[in-house]
Amino acid sequence: MRRLAVTLGRAFAAAAVAVLLLALSGAAFGHSPAELLGILVSGSVGSRFALEGTLLKSVPLLLTGLSVAVAFRAGVWNIGAEGQFIVGALAGLLASRWGVAAALIASMLAGAAWASLATAMRLLRNAPEVLTTILLNFTAIHLLGWSVNGPLRESIAQYPQSDPAGVALPVLAGQVHAGLPIAVLAAIALWVLIHRTREGLRLRATGFSPNAAEWAGINVRAQLARAMAISGAVAGLAGGIELLGVTHRLFERFASGYGYSGIAVALLAQLHPLATVLSALFFGALVTGAGELQRTANISAAVATLGQALVILTLIGFEHVRRNRQSNR
Amino acid sequence: MTRNNPQFSILNPQSNILSTMTVAFAHISRSFGTNRAVDDVTLDVRGGEILALVGENGAGKTTLMSIAAGELARDSGEVRAEGRVELVHQHFMLVNEFTIAENLALTRRFRFATRRALEREALATVAAAGIELGDVSRRVGDLSVGEKSKLELIKAIGRQPATLILDEPTSVLTPREADELFAVMRRVAAAGTAVVFISHKLPEVLAVADRIVVMRAGKIVAETRASETTASALADVMVERRAPRPASRIGHGHEAGGGTTIEGVTFEGGQILAIVGVAGNGQSQLAARLRARLPSAGHIPEDRTRDGIIAEMSIAENLALRGVRNAREIITRYSIRAQDEQQKAGDLSGGNQQKVILARELDRRPHVIVAAEPTRGLDIEAARFVHEQLRDAAGNGAAVLLITSDLDEAFSLSDAIQVIYRGQLSARMTRDEAAGRVANLMAGVA
Repeated sequence: MRRLAVTLGRAFAAAAVAVLLLALSGAAFGHSPAELLGILVSGSVGSRFALEGTLLKSVPLLLTGLSVAVAFRAGVWNIGAEGQFIVGALAGLLASRWGVAAALIASMLAGAAWASLATAMRLLRNAPEVLTTILLNFTAIHLLGWSVNGPLRESIAQYPQSDPAGVALPVLAGQVHAGLPIAVLAAIALWVLIHRTREGLRLRATGFSPNAAEWAGINVRAQLARAMAISGAVAGLAGGIELLGVTHRLFERFASGYGYSGIAVALLAQLHPLATVLSALFFGALVTGAGELQRTANISAAVATLGQALVILTLIGFEHVRRNRQSNR
Repeated sequence: MTRNNPQFSILNPQSNILSTMTVAFAHISRSFGTNRAVDDVTLDVRGGEILALVGENGAGKTTLMSIAAGELARDSGEVRAEGRVELVHQHFMLVNEFTIAENLALTRRFRFATRRALEREALATVAAAGIELGDVSRRVGDLSVGEKSKLELIKAIGRQPATLILDEPTSVLTPREADELFAVMRRVAAAGTAVVFISHKLPEVLAVADRIVVMRAGKIVAETRASETTASALADVMVERRAPRPASRIGHGHEAGGGTTIEGVTFEGGQILAIVGVAGNGQSQLAARLRARLPSAGHIPEDRTRDGIIAEMSIAENLALRGVRNAREIITRYSIRAQDEQQKAGDLSGGNQQKVILARELDRRPHVIVAAEPTRGLDIEAARFVHEQLRDAAGNGAAVLLITSDLDEAFSLSDAIQVIYRGQLSARMTRDEAAGRVANLMAGVA
C-alpha cells in the first residue's frame, strides 16, 4: 500500500511539473502561462462537453496503456499496440455483422494473433520484439490502407474509408459509450491477474529476472508468449471499441497514435493497472485540452504530444534523482 | 606515466628496516548504508614484502584495498600512496572478444599500432612479468580460467606498480597454478614491490606471506609475522565465535542404495554427493542441464543475485514462486534478518538472501536437491546454517548433489565425491579414496 502511494505521488508530481512546463513554454509565443493553463483546464474538464471529450479520449488510451503495461511487466518490449489496435478494429468491422459481442471478441483475438507473430519470431528466430512489433505496426497500417482503398472501401466509393459498422456500442450518457466501463473492468481484471494470482506472480518474476524465474521453475518462454498475447488482445480490444464507439468507420489514419501514446500512459502509471486508469484520464484531458488550445489560442494541438514527452522526461528525471540519493546514502 | 620509485630495486626484501612504505592508511572508515565496511583502520604497506590480508567474507578487506587503489572513496581518514597501486580483482576485467595482445594494449595510451606491433609488445610484457602464457594472438574468450587470471596478473605487473594487490587470486586456480602464482608473487616482492594478498585460505597465506593482518567486521584485529602463527590461531581471531562442530546426521543412510542416474550423476536418497572442481570446468553447465532435466527438484543456483533471488520482489513473493506460502513463519524458522515478509529481497544481505532461496527450494521437501556453491560469499554462521539444512534434507531421505569448489565443504559434508574437469566427471569415490586423488584429478593429471 505504501509503495502504491509513493508510485502515485511521483506520477502526480511528474504530471503537474509537465503541465506547468507546457504552460510556461507558451510564454515564448506571447501567451501568459496562466491563460494557457486556464484554457487547458476548462477545455478538458471545465464543462460537461469537455469532460465527455476527455472521457472519450481516455478509453482507448486506458486500453493501450494496459496493453503496454502487461507486456512491459513481463519484460516484453511490445511497441506494437498501434498495429494490434488497427488489426483489432479491422477484425471488429468484419465480425460486426454478428453483433457487438462477436465484434469485440474478434478484435481481441486478432490483436492477440498479431502480437503473437512477434512472439513466434522471438521464439523461433530470437528476433527482438522491439523491432518486430514496430515493423508489424507498419504492416498493419498498410494493411488498413489497402483495405479501405480496396475490399473494404465504402459502397459509394467516394472516400478511402469503410462503410459504417452495422452495430455500435450502446451510448451511456451524452457521447460516452459502453467502452468506458469495459475499459475500467479490463483494468481491474488485469490488476487481479498481475497482482493477485500465482500466474501474475510468475509473469512479474519473468519481467524482473528471467534467469531467476527459470531457476524457480517458471516456463519463461510460455510466460513471454502469454504476456504478449494478453497485451495484443487488450490493444485489439481498444481498436474494436474505438471503431464501434466513436468512429464507426475505418479510414487510413484510424489509429492516430493511440498505440504509441499507450506507452506514455503505462510509464506514467509505472505499469500498475489501476494507476493506468488515472494516467489515461490525465492524458485524455491533455489531448482534449490541447484541442481547445488550438481552437481558442491558435496553438497547435501537437502540444498534447509535447506534454506526453514532458511527463515521461520529468518522470525519468525523478527516477534519476531518487537513484542518486539512494546510492549516496 | 609510472612514478615508480627507482630505489626499490636496491632494497633487500627481507629487511623491514630498509623497506619503504608504499601505501599508508590512517584512520580510514567507509560505510555502505548503515554497514561499516571499514572502521578506523590504520595500516602501512611496505615495499618488498608480501602482506596477507585475511578475514571472513564481508570483513572489509576488499573495501580497504579498493580505497588504496582509488576505486572507492573513503568517508574519513587519510590514505597516502607512493607510486602506482594496482588492484587485480577477483572477477576478470578482460574483453573476451579481444586477443591477449589487444587486452594488454588497452592499458596503454592511445596511439596507432599494427596488430603485429601489439603482439610484439605483448610478448615483451609477458616475458618481463616472468609468466608463461603462450600465443598472445588467442582470443581471451577462448582461454581457460587459469590463463585469464595469469593475463590479469601480467596486465597489472606490466604497469610497474609500487603496490600490487591480489584479491582472492587462487579461488579459480588449480593447486599447481596457485604454486606458480606464489612463485611470481615472491619474485615481484623480491624486486621491491609491495604485494598485498587478500585471501581467506589460511594454509596458503601461511605458506606465502611475510606479514599477516587479520580483519574482522571492518577492523584490524591482529597483525603477526607469518612465521610466528598457526592456521588455527588465525582462524580463532578471524571468526569471533568458533562455529560449533556440525551436528551428526539424523537418519543417516535412510532409503540409501539404488539411485537413478541423470547426466552422469547418480542420485541416491539419503546421500550427499559432492562434485568438486576448479571453477569454470563445466559446473555451471551441469547445474543448468540438471535444472532442465529435474524441474521439480530443489535447485540452489550458483549465482545468487542473477539466478536465485528476484531483488525487486518481496521475501513473501520470492517464496511464493515455488508455492511456499507461510512467509512469516519461514522468516522465524530460518532466522532471516528482515523487517517483515514484505521487505524487498534485494535489500537483504547475501546470507539472508541465500536463506530465502533455501527456504523456497527446500521447504516443500523435494526428493532431489541440487545445490551449486551454496555457501559462496557467506560468512561462517550463514554457511553453517546452509550445511545444516542440506544435512537435514539428506537425513530426511533426499538425494543431495553438492557442486562446490570448496574442498573443505565437500569433505566435511558429503558421502561420496566426484571430480569435474573440463566437463568430464571422474568415477564416484568415497571420501577416503578421494582424499589422495582429488588434487590431481582437479588439475587433469589423472
